[in-house]
Amino acid sequence: MSSHREAPEISMDPAADNADVYAFVSPDKPDTVTIITNFVPLQAPAGGPNFFEFGNDVLYSIFINNSGDAHPDIEYQFQFHSSLRNPNTFLYNTGPIDSLKSTNWNKRQFFSITRVQDGKSKLLGSDLKCPPCNIGPRSTPNYETLAAEAVHTLPTGEVVFAGQRNDPFFVDLGAIFDLGDLRPFQHLHLIPTPDGTGVDNTKAVNIHSIVIQIPIKSLTTDGSMPTDVMSAKSVLGIWSSSSRRKVKMIDAANDSKSESGPWTQISRLGNPLFNEVIVPLGKKDVWNGQQPSGDAAYLSNVEHPELAGLLPVLYPNVFPNLAALKTARADLVAILLTGLPSGVVGGFQNYTGKTYADMLRLNVAVPPAKSPNPLGVVGGDLAGYPNGRRVFDDVVTIELRAIAGLTVPLVDKTFKPDAATSAIDQGIAPAASRYLTAFPYVRTPYDGYDTPSS
Amino acid sequence: MSTFSRRSFFKAAGVATGTAMISISPAAAAAIEPGALETTPSGPLPQEPIVAVIRNAELGEVTVLSGRTEKTYTDKLLVKRLLKAASKNHHSGQGVA
Repeated sequence: MSSHREAPEISMDPAADNADVYAFVSPDKPDTVTIITNFVPLQAPAGGPNFFEFGNDVLYSIFINNSGDAHPDIEYQFQFHSSLRNPNTFLYNTGPIDSLKSTNWNKRQFFSITRVQDGKSKLLGSDLKCPPCNIGPRSTPNYETLAAEAVHTLPTGEVVFAGQRNDPFFVDLGAIFDLGDLRPFQHLHLIPTPDGTGVDNTKAVNIHSIVIQIPIKSLTTDGSMPTDVMSAKSVLGIWSSSSRRKVKMIDAANDSKSESGPWTQISRLGNPLFNEVIVPLGKKDVWNGQQPSGDAAYLSNVEHPELAGLLPVLYPNVFPNLAALKTARADLVAILLTGLPSGVVGGFQNYTGKTYADMLRLNVAVPPAKSPNPLGVVGGDLAGYPNGRRVFDDVVTIELRAIAGLTVPLVDKTFKPDAATSAIDQGIAPAASRYLTAFPYVRTPYDGYDTPSS
Repeated sequence: MSTFSRRSFFKAAGVATGTAMISISPAAAAAIEPGALETTPSGPLPQEPIVAVIRNAELGEVTVLSGRTEKTYTDKLLVKRLLKAASKNHHSGQGVA
């Protein structure tokens, strides 16, 4: 979760595993959109001596659709390469790394960024420095200084960072995957145990983030800065992916590897939990290789989600109205595949047209919330999920409540959600220190020396 | 899908014509089957391997991956030669590169 190790094939390929994507109007720079896409999930901070990095043989992409057809209108491509100062040591660093230029840092990583639009590619930057992983007080004593050095402002106006961060996604993995348990309500479970407090399993694990802040005017179809929430021009469809070359050859005798063929997509991410929870196991790998514009193939999985059928079984007598609901879930189709059309939520829409596509849909005319609610739109905060996604949005609770029927009345006024639906909660309330209030918004990674603390 | 000659196969793949190689890379060039017809390349060897994948032996369909491209052709003679080479691999036992 949200898409960490969510499919059989990609679970074997962490460097390319697209775990989450976030997109929001930057709260401190509201004329920009910040997009974050995460890879290499569930990193134990002490995982050396070959600490985590992006795949040098992976193409990472962020896609933006501004015309409502779910095809990429703009793509940002990221490619990485590593450099060894001294191949004759096993050490990642031979002394404290006090700057990105430190000669003590042995294995460094760099990246290039290319913008593709109208069939034309433009290299925006190359040999941009990544920060090292956060190792400990002797190796990376002033980590935030190193991270700040890795924030790059491009001549075209974008600000970009690529490197290790603390995973912003919070979830009680241990409970959820133990037959859909929610610790605060587990006395109601089919296999009951005394209630407990939710556990944030991803609190102290790291991830690799690509963070880019982009002027809104460079993303809209007419170069405007939208102010009308109800205008179609205000809505951007956003997703990310990773790709590998089709063929890789290992030539052990010559200590070389070579590749051939086109880039082939192997992971993608739009809405949190889509592939994880909606797509069945036998189709997850195929889904990862497809484009959002083809997601009509998964319409029935959204209209009749497996989890909606499981909840009344796992929590007997708790969801009788949900159990009786047999109609196709038009509410989930709107949230996940088309966006919410006008007239569903007062003063809001993020509809991108009739094409069924799993994308984050961000209405950039909605200003950042002054008092954000992690429950987003269902919590009355139109600047949060499913209007894009902020790092602190509680997407697990939002989507569990939606699947349990909370959002059915948006399209069917006769349906009454079960009383328990609004009480569904994974029981996790991350501290404000879990996030940053300014770029790159995702917190400093935990270091290996101090984590886990004794 | 298009029909084409072996000459155009190698031309499409960016390799000098007349060489009966299944795939070629600087490192692999030295491992050409003894007795295979070799010619002097008209241009620099590609830095990446060229890979031929038999899609359908009966129809003679072979997919060529070269650089960032992938295209499927029909060439029954080429497919036949590739299958013959593969058969020789099997008969000569499992090797380690």
